[in-house]
Amino acid sequence: MSIKSLSPGRGVSARDRAERRLAIRMTAPSLILMALVAAVPIGYALWLSLNQYSVRTAGLSRFVGLENYITALASQEWWAAFGQTFLFAALSVSLELVLGTAMALLLNLAFKGRALLRTVVLLPYAIVTVVSAITWQTMFQPNLGLVTNVLSALGLPGGDVVWLGEHGYAMAVIVLADVWKTTPFAALIILAGLQVISAETYEAAELDGASKWQTFVHITLPLLRPAIVLAAIFRTMDALRVFDLPFVLTRGANGTESMSMLAYTQLRENRLVGEGSALSILTFLTVMVVSVVYIRFAGGNIREVAKEEQ
Amino acid sequence: MKAFISAGRRRLALSAAAAVMAGSMLTACGGGAATQNNGPAVDPAAGKDASGSINVCGGKDASGIYKGTAEAFTKANGKVTAKYTEIGATTDEARTQAVQRLEGKSDECDIFLTDVIWTSEFASQGWLVDQSKLVEANKDRLIPSTVETTKYEDKYWASPFFTNAGLIYYQKDKVAKPETWQQLYAEAAKAPGNSFVYQGKQYEGLTVNFLEMLYSAGGEVLDSNGEVKIDSPQTREVLDFMVKGLKDGSADRAVLTYNEDPARLAYESGEDGYQRNWPHVYRLLNESALKGTFGVAPLPTWEGGKASGVLGGWNLAISAHSKNQAGAVAFIDFATTPEWQKHVAMDFSQAPVNEAAYSDPVVLAKMPFAKELLASVKGAKPRPISPVYPQISQAVYKNVYAVLSGTASTEDAVKNMAEEITAAKKSF
Repeated sequence: MSIKSLSPGRGVSARDRAERRLAIRMTAPSLILMALVAAVPIGYALWLSLNQYSVRTAGLSRFVGLENYITALASQEWWAAFGQTFLFAALSVSLELVLGTAMALLLNLAFKGRALLRTVVLLPYAIVTVVSAITWQTMFQPNLGLVTNVLSALGLPGGDVVWLGEHGYAMAVIVLADVWKTTPFAALIILAGLQVISAETYEAAELDGASKWQTFVHITLPLLRPAIVLAAIFRTMDALRVFDLPFVLTRGANGTESMSMLAYTQLRENRLVGEGSALSILTFLTVMVVSVVYIRFAGGNIREVAKEEQ
Repeated sequence: MKAFISAGRRRLALSAAAAVMAGSMLTACGGGAATQNNGPAVDPAAGKDASGSINVCGGKDASGIYKGTAEAFTKANGKVTAKYTEIGATTDEARTQAVQRLEGKSDECDIFLTDVIWTSEFASQGWLVDQSKLVEANKDRLIPSTVETTKYEDKYWASPFFTNAGLIYYQKDKVAKPETWQQLYAEAAKAPGNSFVYQGKQYEGLTVNFLEMLYSAGGEVLDSNGEVKIDSPQTREVLDFMVKGLKDGSADRAVLTYNEDPARLAYESGEDGYQRNWPHVYRLLNESALKGTFGVAPLPTWEGGKASGVLGGWNLAISAHSKNQAGAVAFIDFATTPEWQKHVAMDFSQAPVNEAAYSDPVVLAKMPFAKELLASVKGAKPRPISPVYPQISQAVYKNVYAVLSGTASTEDAVKNMAEEITAAKKSF
């Protein structure tokens, strides 16, 4: 690697350099702010995760290096929570994207009261998750719940199942509660993507005699990809950090404990600050890695779009 | 031997250095590490010439007892005014909020309402004022089992305010008053409408429900020396008994999702025979369609064993950072008087910590099951006493839940429980 190629002076005019300096000066305040609100807490958590803090004697702590991470990665609990969280994310995000796309297509049609409906579908998203979780809990209660009663009345299977007390079923309720709540959010992002597709493209397709299905598969979906990927990234990051739904619905029983719940238990209930921080950092890293992978492999489109816009 | 000592010293020096570093870092971030409080025990006579105001902090005041006591105290005392501040809607939330204030050395709260299971943890952190002398002075008017819940390392760190013990509610027209757990389960298995509901969700309440049976079967979690004793034939026997109950229909499988309120609601539908719950449920059942149809019994004995239970309830602890300890002592003196303890039962349906209150005619008129309640309270034992109690309880309820829900064998769960409790006890 030659020094020449690294040197910015070559082939760059004085004006360019001045502009570059100006750019740095102009971005500096936001960079400093970012550092304060993001880097400081993360750095602090990282420091906490490298120490052990006594739960027996106040103020006593010791530096243990990576021991907290080794303990976490060697524990069955972490890997169980890891697998369960990914299962939840995979199920909920794929359902939300499929349903969200369908919902967006419907909302994009021209009909009377469209503006009102667009607002109304957002209602579930506006409800506090804990509140909606308690509602779902009540609905799935054995004997008394709405869902179990309706299923029994219709003679359908599931009426006599203790949904939140059974492996698989408990996960299904949590996925359902999440899909109900956040599908409108996915739909809204995808709707925005739909609206930038020009009508001319569709007119051209119609002239060429493309069927509705062909139009959807060959025009709508490819052009929607950036919006769908964006929705997928947002939803996946959220789903991997899920806490409130399993906390309220099952307390982590029956294969529903998430990574965040595990960290919470260690940090808050057990006051194991070091171990809990290590689990938080591991959760954070997991989410980071997944987002980077997304952007690398599925987000090619986003970069292309960004380039075109420049 | 010499090498051992020097290694020990080195480690001590290292951890001291680390403690200093951590301490300064925490302070810099506004957290502030608590310091060990080895201050003298508070003087029981301090309350006599107290003045000023005090702030009592705790969870949601569902029965009105906290506010009611503060108001009555202010009126009766004349010199000290007390107010109640709610710092959390649930028990967990109240604990988190209390811990934050204590770690931050806040003087906002003079008295904290503390759950009986928090005593060791709060005391070991130096967050509380030593109440040994005060408790000794009041001991003759307090039920001994309730006093035990305030003890940590031979000192008393709080005064009992009101207590709690499990009771069995039963439908008089369908099932018999239970004498033993075996009889209760056999009776419950006879018909679907006889079934038993309890708190079997994966949470603290399951630890309580399980320990009530384990204690009466003669088992224990830790012995008096703090040794782990959970890996015992009694633990296996109780677990197998509970599993069998779920299989033969004595207990509805739905209990795996119940904490206190869902259990009560299910029982109110009239489709069950027995319910294990706390005393406050009596008032609620009396307001439901079940009024007049149910009876109240103390917890049954284990066949060939004895009656036992697990103590609940709330204590009054003085914050180490309180600026008005004398006022706090005056408040505690008032709250534990035999006279006020009657109001605890009459006005707020809570279990008094003074024995005489249970046989008072006015109390009996309002709380007809006072005799059964006293039997449950006197027979009940505290949950394991340890500063790492939350971890111990998790080891219990997670493994018991695994057995009940059918994902683990009794043998594996008992082994796991013992291992996890041993590991928790080794917490640094």
